[in-house]
Amino acid sequence: MITWRRIGLKDYVFPDIKEYTKEYLKNINNIPVDVKLNKITECANNAENHKFDISEVPALGKEFTSFVESSYNSGISIYLPQNIKLKSPIRLEFNMDDKNPTVVDHNIIIAEPNSEVTIVIDYNSDNKTKTFHNGFTKVYAKEDSIVNIVKIQRINDHSYNFDSNIALVKERAIVNWISIELGSSISGSNYSSILQDMASESNLHSIYLGDGTRKMDLGYTMIHKGPKSLSTIETKGVLKDKSKKIFRGDLNFKRGARHSKGSEEEYVILLDPTVKSDSIPALLCDEDDVEGDHAVSAGKIDESKLFYLMSRGLSEKESKKLIVEASFKPIIEKIPYEDLQKVISHEVERRLING
Amino acid sequence: MENKLLSINNLKVNIEDKEILKGLNLEINKGEIHIIMGPNGGGKSTLAYSLMGHPQYKIIDGEIVLEGKSINELTADKRAKNGIFLSFQYPEEIPGVTVEEFLRTAKTSVSGEVQKIMAFKKLLKEKMIQLEMKEEYAARYLNLGFSGGEKKKNEILQMSILEPKLAILDETDSGLDVDAIRIVADGVNKFIDESRAILVITHYNKLLEYIKPDYVHILIDGKIIKTGGIELAEEIDKNGYENIKAKFSN
Repeated sequence: MITWRRIGLKDYVFPDIKEYTKEYLKNINNIPVDVKLNKITECANNAENHKFDISEVPALGKEFTSFVESSYNSGISIYLPQNIKLKSPIRLEFNMDDKNPTVVDHNIIIAEPNSEVTIVIDYNSDNKTKTFHNGFTKVYAKEDSIVNIVKIQRINDHSYNFDSNIALVKERAIVNWISIELGSSISGSNYSSILQDMASESNLHSIYLGDGTRKMDLGYTMIHKGPKSLSTIETKGVLKDKSKKIFRGDLNFKRGARHSKGSEEEYVILLDPTVKSDSIPALLCDEDDVEGDHAVSAGKIDESKLFYLMSRGLSEKESKKLIVEASFKPIIEKIPYEDLQKVISHEVERRLING
Repeated sequence: MENKLLSINNLKVNIEDKEILKGLNLEINKGEIHIIMGPNGGGKSTLAYSLMGHPQYKIIDGEIVLEGKSINELTADKRAKNGIFLSFQYPEEIPGVTVEEFLRTAKTSVSGEVQKIMAFKKLLKEKMIQLEMKEEYAARYLNLGFSGGEKKKNEILQMSILEPKLAILDETDSGLDVDAIRIVADGVNKFIDESRAILVITHYNKLLEYIKPDYVHILIDGKIIKTGGIELAEEIDKNGYENIKAKFSN
């Protein structure tokens, strides 16, 4: 049983996990033969899984991650050989419904030196089924590799969503996370990167939208171990109605991470006085010679901007919508599929206009 | 009289309980260019914001009447739809929205007609050429990283696209070099016709070398204390406000 007060879970028991029967791997054309891409449920053994140690990062917590490791019903295992750069992204879509109400996906991504891959995972559902998602994604980015992970969560408002993501980043490798959080009644999502070696880099860009009574816990951690390692966290959010959000961003500079740089920034727009927004940015330093910046700001929409837009004939609602959409746009544009960009923009629009 | 566009009757406006406009009267007819001059702190920008409907500028007394209807209670968007436009002294930067997208949205709101993309593009391009704006500005985020002069030109661009009945230019000429003033004045002169009017708030006479006003008003301490023709502006240019102020208080 899990109790997680911040998002209102008390004595919570995971539901029974059913088989996920739909096809979730959307494009597997043009993938070179020496790339090993498998559904995790079809892999004979997951030896690769144990090759790297990510135990120091708790992600959402052992209860969640162990559950995925023991009970997964979906996910991929991908192994990219040295120097292979995949031009088109690998795309997964989970669409939950009454026949497939649970997704527990376990994803393992191993990028050998100088390889490159982008993986886009879209989690969605029908409008009514009470669904459950708990995922665990592990990235091992070896020397000079680039791994981009894009996650879109737009599950219906009756559902629970939990997602843990961890990357181990080697010399000069880059791991970029993009997280779009739009749905579920309770959502816990965690992204952590361990910047293991010299000049390793990780960037996280996320947007979130809270409406209705949604409760969100967003935890982002950058652990700097290698010298000259770099990290960025950029989060933009909007809260309306009675939604609640906790943002935790940790920049953790370990001994040996000299000349490293990390920055984090969260900007949230509060549309109603009934929302609750907590932000806890933290800078932890064992090493002196590092640079860490954090900025968190929460506010109502800038009244001068609002007046400027309204003076051009846009109603108050339209003006607010435009300001929120504009702040989300640079992050949405990082998603490598136009159809998904549109889906997200429409979803944001719909949720901003309703209520 | 059907020519009458705007009447401001004994307007009193407070900002945070401080009275700024103290009973201001002004009549503007269609086809006219009015200039408002006055020292800092006299209430010029307050008048501009009050006409546009800024929520922090509270009307305590008096009335603003546009084409026979009081607009006191209307929010800024409704006033825009009724034909009022304000060229801001400090235009806001809106990252994430391009000039073209924004203007198309605004034109749709103000006119109530959906703007076809290609036709609008053409219109925008035309107006930008008139204002000697580089075409690339259409695709840039609204005012973001624009210089002072570019922001002001962009305001005039918006005015010429939205085609209001009453355009209020709040210090549009300040901070502009001579060439930019000429271009802005040119935009104003192209815009004015028998169906519209312009209210120009200014500090300087430079603009008046290019624009021929019908009336010049002096706004001091929340009231218009003197109205005249262009000779009034020339007098202020020579002698400043002190003379007029002194005469007025005697």
